[in-house]
Amino acid sequence: MTTAAVFRSATAAPRAVTRATGESRVVRWLLISIALVFLALVLLLPLVLVFNQAFAKGLPAYWDAIVQPDALSAAKLTLLTAAIAVPANLLFGVAAAWCVTKFEFRGKSVLITLIDLPFAVSPVISGMIFVLLFGAQGWLGDWLFEHDIRIIFAVPGIVLATTFVTAPFVARELIPLMQEQGSEEEEAAIVLGASGWQTFFRVTLPNIKWGLLYGLILCNARAMGEFGAVSVVSGHIRGETNTLPLHVEILYNEYAFAASFAVASVLTLLALVTLALKTLVEKRMAS
Amino acid sequence: MSIEVRNLRKAFGTFVALDDVNLDVPGGELVALLGPSGSGKTTLLRIIAGLEPADQGLIRFEGEDTTDRPVRERQVGFVFQHYALFRHMSVFENIAFGLRVRPRPVRPSDEEIRDTVMGLLRLVQLEALGQRRPSELSGGQRQRVALARALAVKPKVLLLDEPFGALDAKVRKELRRWLRRLHEEVHVTSVFVTHDQEEALEVSDRVVIMNEGRVEQSGTPEEVYERPATPFVYGFLGDVNLFHGRIDRGRVKVGASELDAPEWAEARDQAGVAYVRTYDVELTPSSSGRSSIETIVRHIRAFGPVIRLELDRVEDGGSVEAHLPRAQYDKLGLVKGQRVFVSPTSVRVFAGPADGSAARIA
Repeated sequence: MTTAAVFRSATAAPRAVTRATGESRVVRWLLISIALVFLALVLLLPLVLVFNQAFAKGLPAYWDAIVQPDALSAAKLTLLTAAIAVPANLLFGVAAAWCVTKFEFRGKSVLITLIDLPFAVSPVISGMIFVLLFGAQGWLGDWLFEHDIRIIFAVPGIVLATTFVTAPFVARELIPLMQEQGSEEEEAAIVLGASGWQTFFRVTLPNIKWGLLYGLILCNARAMGEFGAVSVVSGHIRGETNTLPLHVEILYNEYAFAASFAVASVLTLLALVTLALKTLVEKRMAS
Repeated sequence: MSIEVRNLRKAFGTFVALDDVNLDVPGGELVALLGPSGSGKTTLLRIIAGLEPADQGLIRFEGEDTTDRPVRERQVGFVFQHYALFRHMSVFENIAFGLRVRPRPVRPSDEEIRDTVMGLLRLVQLEALGQRRPSELSGGQRQRVALARALAVKPKVLLLDEPFGALDAKVRKELRRWLRRLHEEVHVTSVFVTHDQEEALEVSDRVVIMNEGRVEQSGTPEEVYERPATPFVYGFLGDVNLFHGRIDRGRVKVGASELDAPEWAEARDQAGVAYVRTYDVELTPSSSGRSSIETIVRHIRAFGPVIRLELDRVEDGGSVEAHLPRAQYDKLGLVKGQRVFVSPTSVRVFAGPADGSAARIA
C-alpha cells in the first residue's frame, strides 16, 4: 500500500510538469513526423538507393567495378590529394588561428574574411581561378609552358584546387575555440621560462587537439569528396587525372549505372566513417 | 631584489593607462598596488613582468635595466587573476612546468623536480592533491597551485594580479593571512594588485595608491591611512564626509559653521573641501560652538559595536554619515527624525573643487 502511494505521487509530479511546459500531444507528433519524413526522403532513401543500385548486378560486378584499373587509379589520386591537402591545411589552419587569436594587428578582420573566402565562392569558380592563373591562356601560362611545368589538367592543379576549397575547415574550427581559451595560459608558460615552441607544443596544442582533430576530419571528408573545383582543373583524363567523384560521374554518363554506384558507395562508406569519427571526437570535446 | 620604475608611460590608443609612473619596491617587501578599476595598476604589473611593452620609461631590477629583457629571462613569478593553470595537466605537472621547460644543461633531474614540487605542495598545503586536474579543485586551492607554480622557478620577484579577486569573502580572508605568512617564510620581493583597500592595508608592508594612470601616494598602510596626501586617497581609503566651503585665514566656512584649518592660515577666500572621517565626529543634542553643524537623523543602523547614522544637514539637505561607538549612541538616545549637532573632531582641508583634480595639500 505504501509503495503504491509513493509510486503514484512520484509519477504524478513529472506529468504535471510536462503539461505545464510542453506542447500538446498532436503538435508533438506532427513536428516529430515532419522531421522523420524529411530525414527519410532526403537522407535515408538516397543512402539506401546508392547501395541498392551498387549491388544491382550482384556482388561480383560490384567488386569488378571497384578493382578496375581506372577506379583504382582514381582512388589513389583521391588519397594522394587528401594526403597533401589535409596536412597543408593543418599547418595553415593552426598558423592562421594562432595569428588571429593570440595577437592584435591591423587587417585582422580582413584576414578572417579571407579565410572564409573558399566557402563563400562556388567551387566551380575556385577551379576557374586556378585555370585563369596557371592555364594555357592564364597569367602564368606562358612561363609554365616554357619551363615544362604542368599544373592545369594535371595532379598539381587538383591538389591546389582541393587545398583551396578545404582551407577554411581547420582555421574556422580553431578560431572560436582559441578565442574562448584566451592567451593567459600561454603567457603563464612564457613567464615560467618556456620558449615559443615549448609553449605551443606543451600548452596550446594539448588544449586544442580535439578541435583540431574535428577540423581535420571535416577537411579530409571534403578533400576526398570535392567535385566542382577539381572537375574544372582536372581535364578528366582516365587513369591520370580522375578522382573518385569524377570517376563516378564519367561512369554514370556512360550509362554504367551499377559500376558508377559501386564507386559511389565507396565514397558513401567514407562519409559514414567520417560521421562516426566526428561523433566520437565531439564526445571527447564535450568531456 | 629591488624594483625601480622610472617615468613609465603606456597608452592603448587614446587611452592613457600609465602617465609618468615612478615606483620603488625595496627588496624583500610585500607591496600592494591599490586603485579603482581602470587606474592602470594591472598594466603596471604586466609591464614589470614584461608581458606588455612600455611606451616610455624604464624598469630596473636590483639596479639593472630590464626594459628590453624578454619575459622568459626576467625570472619573475606571475600569478594571474584567473590563475591560468594548464587545464590539461595535473597539479603536480603544473607546478613542475617551469623546471621541465629549462634547457637540458640547467634542467633538474626528475628526482630533483619531484622533491621541489612535493616541497611546494607541502608549502601550499595541497600534498594530497598532486594528481588532480585544476578543474577538480576549489577556487582557493587553484589560487595556491598558481602560487606554487610561480614559486617553483625561484623567481626574484613575485607579481600577483588581483590574487583574491575571484574568491568568496571567507576564503579570501583566510588566504590573505596565509599569503602574509608565506611571504614571511619565503621573503621574495612581491607586488600584488588589488582594488580592495582593506586587503591592501592588512597584507602589505607598503601601499601604492593609483588613480587614472598616476601614483597618488605610496607609504606604509599607517601613513597612507592616517595622512592621505590627496583628496582621492582620503576618499578611497575609508569612509569620509565632504564639506564644500570657502577657506579664509585658517578657517573653512561651511554654511553657517566654521571649521578650523590652521594649515591654511595664508589662504584668502578660496574654494576648498573639508574631509572628515565618519568616526571623527562628535554628536551633541545642542550646538557646541561655531564648528557645530545642525542635522536631522534620517536613518539608524544599530547592530554590532559601531552604530552607523545617516544625517541630513538642515541648511542644505546634504548628507552626513557618522559612526559612533555603541556606548555613546546609547547615552545620546537618538531616534529617527531627531535634531542633532555634528562637530568634526579632525578635519583635513584640500583646496579646489571636490573632484580632487590636482588638488594637493598646502
